[in-house]
Amino acid sequence: MIDPDLRAFLEGGLGIHIGSRTARLEPNGARAVAVKPEDDGLHLIVYVTEVASARVLPDLKANGAAAVVFARPVDDRACQIKGIYVDARPAGDADRPFVERQWDLFLGNLEKIGIPRIASGAWIIWPVVAIRIRATAVFEQTPGPDAGALLATRS
Amino acid sequence: MSVTLESLATCFQGLLPAQLFTCSADGIPNAAYLSHVEYVDSSHVALSYQFFNKSRRNITENPQALVIVLDPDTGQGWSLRLKYVRSETSGPLFDRMALRIEAIASYCGLKGIFKLRAADIYEVLRVEPVAEEVGSQAPARQPSANPIFTVNALQTFSDRIHQADSLESLVDSVLRALEETFGFRHSMILVPAEEKDVLVAIATRGYPENGAGAEVRFGEGIAGMVAEARKPIRISGLLRGTLYALAMHREAQRPEAARRRIPLPGLANPESQLGVPLLVRGELVGVLCVESEMPYRFHEEDRASIELLGSYLAIAIQNMLLQERSESPAQPIADAPAKPPAMSELTSHASRMANPRLPERIEVVYYAADECIMVDGEYLIRSMPAKILWRLLTAHSATGRREFTNRELRLDKSLNLPEWKDNLESRLLLLRRRLEQKCPHIGLVSSGRGRFALDLRCELALIER
Repeated sequence: MIDPDLRAFLEGGLGIHIGSRTARLEPNGARAVAVKPEDDGLHLIVYVTEVASARVLPDLKANGAAAVVFARPVDDRACQIKGIYVDARPAGDADRPFVERQWDLFLGNLEKIGIPRIASGAWIIWPVVAIRIRATAVFEQTPGPDAGALLATRS
Repeated sequence: MSVTLESLATCFQGLLPAQLFTCSADGIPNAAYLSHVEYVDSSHVALSYQFFNKSRRNITENPQALVIVLDPDTGQGWSLRLKYVRSETSGPLFDRMALRIEAIASYCGLKGIFKLRAADIYEVLRVEPVAEEVGSQAPARQPSANPIFTVNALQTFSDRIHQADSLESLVDSVLRALEETFGFRHSMILVPAEEKDVLVAIATRGYPENGAGAEVRFGEGIAGMVAEARKPIRISGLLRGTLYALAMHREAQRPEAARRRIPLPGLANPESQLGVPLLVRGELVGVLCVESEMPYRFHEEDRASIELLGSYLAIAIQNMLLQERSESPAQPIADAPAKPPAMSELTSHASRMANPRLPERIEVVYYAADECIMVDGEYLIRSMPAKILWRLLTAHSATGRREFTNRELRLDKSLNLPEWKDNLESRLLLLRRRLEQKCPHIGLVSSGRGRFALDLRCELALIER
């Protein structure tokens, strides 16, 4: 489902947000700081700051429904992965260089479109929770008439 | 609501994308990016509905939504808990949002594709700061603490309009006032060209090239969009840089003939642009554009204020053109020698002594079929200004006359100026500007209202093809 091309795109310093919902179908969402697709092409780890995870983890643990959206600032290429929550753990020191490198790529992409790092300088990016998701569908989300097209699915 | 929507005004201008979270009736969440969240009033915002995507489908099933916006000045994120109320497919809000989308789309040739279907209006139930997107300590912009559109500033602007004694001094002093009084360093004024639905630049400020004579079709770029819609457009945002680069790419791929036009001056990387139509009783007399490399340079209050300035300027331009026409001398000025001068007599020795780099002789070629003038193989100008210049140069060559009047140009059947609203003054202005920049050997010097003189600084070889 997540082929090598898509994986390279996902790890290229994107804006990442994870969405969830309550039992009353109220949507919730939070920014993620990095993503790591697993080699099986089916699972991905979404790194969300601990403070942000408080808004989505209770939903994910309660009903499992997740949506993760990715967008590249320089050209607005975007996609969304729908999935099912698997588990979550505090990210450790082993994760940190990877997370920080990807975050740095993201800030670099923002700089390319004229948004200086100072605008995001005070954002919290650690401590982080690693949320594991099993992907069930991938959708095109680049702005335009094709947004929403199904790119891959697996139940 | 402890945090007011008004205090989040800078979040609603689209510099950083917003995030929209929705949920379907069967419990599948959806996350999407939004280029723009539109402020409606103190308890409502609007989102654009362009495509029937998943977010839109979810809203029809479940009206609850969450939007996260970012303050571009501080980096602080804000979450807005929303409830869908209704959709509007016409009216001022719809028009404003549609125009913005069209203006952005026009940059990359996608005009008409990114059409707004509706402005979806949401009630804002709750506003909260986003915990991880903490604002920096940099002071937030406080427009009310240092307003630039004061009564004094407006008075200064008004005075400059009243003091102007020609169209040239009017447009120059207005653009200078925009910089000196209001701090808008890059600006331009365009007026309708002879060709239908085309604008031509008559004055610019803040660019290396003066750009006089540059043409823009209605619907192209911000000036063309303003002219077409006859409404102000303000653009700042994430898409600007990318779209501008795409537009440049498209321009480079145009055929050579299409590129033989004067490029419109512009910043290499404009982050903010604002254009207002100059209207007099519904008639478009021009477009005023300002731009900046600063993101979010132009805020809502700037739009309102520049629109007001534009309304003064529109009337002033209209009055100046009508006044010039009514006061033009009735007869040509007979100060010419009786016989044509030799070529050497056309040269001003004083001018060449003052500027020894000026050439002794230049070749001026008029292409009658194209109504286009080339000087030493370089494109100078086309259309009515080209016809006027050729008329002056040939008259000078034939009779030695240097002094001319607007009136005689109006009466000259070969120029075929319209009987009413010929915009002659603006054509002469852009001709003068173009000569200053590209052909300083030929000058057009004002010698009183409705009169001007040719100032030739080298020999001319006139060729008609």
